[in-house]
Amino acid sequence: MVLIATTVFMFAMALIFAMALCVANRRLAVQIDPRQTEIEAALPGINCGGCGFPGCAGYAEALVQGKAEANKCGPGGPSVAGKIAGILGVAVGETWPRFPVVHCCAGADVRPPRPDRHRITTCAGAHVAGQSQTCAYGCLGLADCKVACQFGAIRMINGLPVIDYSLCTSCGACERACPRAIIRLIPFKADRMTVVACASRDPGRSMRELHICPVGCIGCGACVRAVPEVFQMTVNLAVIDYQKYDALADLSVAAGKCPVKVIRIVGPNNSIQRKPDPLPKPAATPAASSAEAASS
Amino acid sequence: MDTLMTLLTIVVATAVVNNFVFTYFLGICSYLGVSKRVDMAVGMGLAVTFVMAIAGLLTWLLNNLFLSEHGLLGYDLTFVKYIVFIFVIAGAVQLVEMYIRKFHPPLYKAFGIFLPLITTNCAILGACLLVDLQTDRFSYVAQGMMGLAKAVVYNVAAGLGYTLAIVLMASIREEIEFADIPRPLQGAGITLLIAAILAMAFQGFAGMAG
Repeated sequence: MVLIATTVFMFAMALIFAMALCVANRRLAVQIDPRQTEIEAALPGINCGGCGFPGCAGYAEALVQGKAEANKCGPGGPSVAGKIAGILGVAVGETWPRFPVVHCCAGADVRPPRPDRHRITTCAGAHVAGQSQTCAYGCLGLADCKVACQFGAIRMINGLPVIDYSLCTSCGACERACPRAIIRLIPFKADRMTVVACASRDPGRSMRELHICPVGCIGCGACVRAVPEVFQMTVNLAVIDYQKYDALADLSVAAGKCPVKVIRIVGPNNSIQRKPDPLPKPAATPAASSAEAASS
Repeated sequence: MDTLMTLLTIVVATAVVNNFVFTYFLGICSYLGVSKRVDMAVGMGLAVTFVMAIAGLLTWLLNNLFLSEHGLLGYDLTFVKYIVFIFVIAGAVQLVEMYIRKFHPPLYKAFGIFLPLITTNCAILGACLLVDLQTDRFSYVAQGMMGLAKAVVYNVAAGLGYTLAIVLMASIREEIEFADIPRPLQGAGITLLIAAILAMAFQGFAGMAG
């Protein structure tokens, strides 16, 4: 008798709950934009957070709501940006693959030895502690970026991070990990890019006389005089305006003028796996056209 | 006044003295899993409290109306208590999740993602099963509305105790992030050690309030 009662009771409960859930599923269904599902499928799905949203699903939601640009996915690059733009029916902005570049060239051999009294093992800690090395802007060499890289694309060679561009997915974790903003993502408009490999804002005079750094930018402005369209002077530091950077323009003039040879060429030695998307052709900058006019 | 004191005693005895995490070792999985950040821990704790309150209410009603020998069916069906409780908790949480998702999207964003995690959490089932055992000690009025009130208060207090435990843990783990921990202890090792020390600290309450 008890068994029968139990069976009946369980069946009744199962029936009630099944019906309630069934009705609820119909009545309480939430409409999800089908484009969101499509975009999520198009995204790489590695949830690196490089776009600034919580994971690929978060980015897809923001895209559908019109809160995000279509070209924010670093690992996906131009191809994914194109797909997203296609799904949303919007025009995609100019997209170049963005890769990290180390804006410091002072290796362990030219860096004065660091007083390591506190056994600080992270760049973040050393940066906050201060006085850990003479240059307040340069690489600390404690490999926070290497730890942050989940793809193993960063090796420490001679106290400086070296990026393996064949493994890099442009997620930007190293950029966020660097407390001194030495690693920054720049748009790779060509396989090999010219960069100013220094982040120091110390005046050149003190850099020499106080022995801060023998290889850093001294802020002489020779590069700005050579190629004023691309190079700019900030506080004692030459920077490249990558908006105006033209892959076709010859920047070797500026590199040749640099007395400390801090203007360097970085790139993956043509081993880069993703080429720049040919679709958004950059308009010829005044630098390129004037150079052509001068040569002809 | 007597009623109020009884309920208050249940709250203290459940949330602090017989803390679910530290004394019964229930809900350890989510306790270790979601205690990395304080805001996440608060969300998880409140979600557990919420689900415990609903589950406690439903299971007490079922237990007393149908499963008990004195209930409507007239048979002692308490041997199917476990499976019925699991069934009811999972079903009710599903319904609540759907409801919140439809009508309260901000609330869903806040702790909706934790709800599926909680459906099969042992702390919920434990609270529903332990409620009779634990609350009968504090009052001789065992049946009727008083029994229901005690059951709900017990379950909410159990949830608050869980919240207390997980928020404590998350606060400590946020600080631990910056500590220089020996390599073999990093990660799970130091977390379990902290949990053990916390549990030992809570043993100091043992014996209070029954």
